[in-house]
Amino acid sequence: MHEMSLMAEMIELLGCSARENNIDKIIKVHLVVGKMTMALPDALTMAFDVFKTEDIFAPSAELTIEQRETIAKCRTCGSTFSAPDNYLFICPTCQGLRIEIISGRELYIASFEGEEA
Amino acid sequence: MTIRVELGTSLLARNEEMAAEIRYLCQDNNIFLVNIMSSPGAGKTTLLEKSLNFLKTHIKVAVIEGDIATTRDADRISAQGINAVQLNTNGACHLDARMVYQAFQKLDLSALDLILVENIGNLVCPAEFDLGENLRIVLLSITEGNDKIVKYPVMFRDAQMFLLNKIDLLPYTDFNLAELEKDLRTINSELEVFHVSARLGLGIEAWSNRLISIVRNHRRSES
Repeated sequence: MHEMSLMAEMIELLGCSARENNIDKIIKVHLVVGKMTMALPDALTMAFDVFKTEDIFAPSAELTIEQRETIAKCRTCGSTFSAPDNYLFICPTCQGLRIEIISGRELYIASFEGEEA
Repeated sequence: MTIRVELGTSLLARNEEMAAEIRYLCQDNNIFLVNIMSSPGAGKTTLLEKSLNFLKTHIKVAVIEGDIATTRDADRISAQGINAVQLNTNGACHLDARMVYQAFQKLDLSALDLILVENIGNLVCPAEFDLGENLRIVLLSITEGNDKIVKYPVMFRDAQMFLLNKIDLLPYTDFNLAELEKDLRTINSELEVFHVSARLGLGIEAWSNRLISIVRNHRRSES
C-alpha cells in the first residue's frame, strides 16, 4: 500500500539527481528492494507506470527491481541463515532466538541511465 | 549520449533526515516520543483515552493523532483535557516524519515530557517509516486473531512493547494465547507484553506505570 508514496519519493530523488548530472530523459532505473520492506515489486511497477508520464522520463523508460532475500545472523552463535517465509527466526545451528537482520530491508535506487541534455 | 549514474540513495533517506530532526527536538526539550501502531479497530484511541486519564496525573503529555480523514480521534482525546494535534494524511496509509514534524510545530514542546503518536490503522506500511520515536508500541486485539503476528511479522519484529487489547473477550473467541506467546518469542524475543482491556480499564494502570517509569528513566539519563 505504501508503494505509491515510495515511488513518488523515487521520482523526486531521480529528478534532483538527473538535473545535477545534466540528464534530460531517464531511460532506465535500477531499484534494490529487500523482501522485508513489504514493498511489492508488482505494486511498485504499477506505481512507476503512473509516474512515468512525468517529463524527466523517456516514454520507453524501464524500471528493474532487484529483490533481496531476508538474511538473519544469530547473536548467540554468529551463524547466518535465510529467514523462512513466516519470519519465525530460529537459528538452525543453535536454536537461538536473539537474531539481527543483515539483509532484506534494502530500499534504494542503485543506479539510473539517461540521455544527456 | 547515455549517462549512467550510480546513486545508492535510499527511498527513505529524506524521511530519515526528518526523523533525525525530530530526535534533535526531542533531545533539546527532553521529550520521550512513542509511536503506537495497530490495525484499524484494535482500540488505539480507546486505549489512549483510558491511559491518558492516568498518565496526565503523573507526567505532562500530548497526543498526535494520525487518521486518513476526520478530527474525531483528536476530539476524543481533547475531551480528556489533553493537548491533541490531528494529522490527516488524505489517503496515505501511514504517517511519515515530515507530518509529525509539522505537528510538533503546533505543540509547546518545552511544557511536555511525553508525546504519544497514534499512527494510521495499518499493520504493514507504518513499520517502514521512522518517526524519530524512542519507543514503538504495537497493539493487537483478541478479535483479530492470534495469527496476525505471523502474518505481519515486520511490525511485531520492530516494536519494543506489545499490548494485547480486548483481553476480556478471550473466553468468547478461539484466540490461542499459547500459540501467540510462542510466535512472539520467535519473532521478537525482547518484546515486553501487557494484557489490557481498554474498554473496561483492565491492565491500564500496569502498562501506564511501566511507560511512566521508562519516560522518567530516559529523562534522567538524558539530563
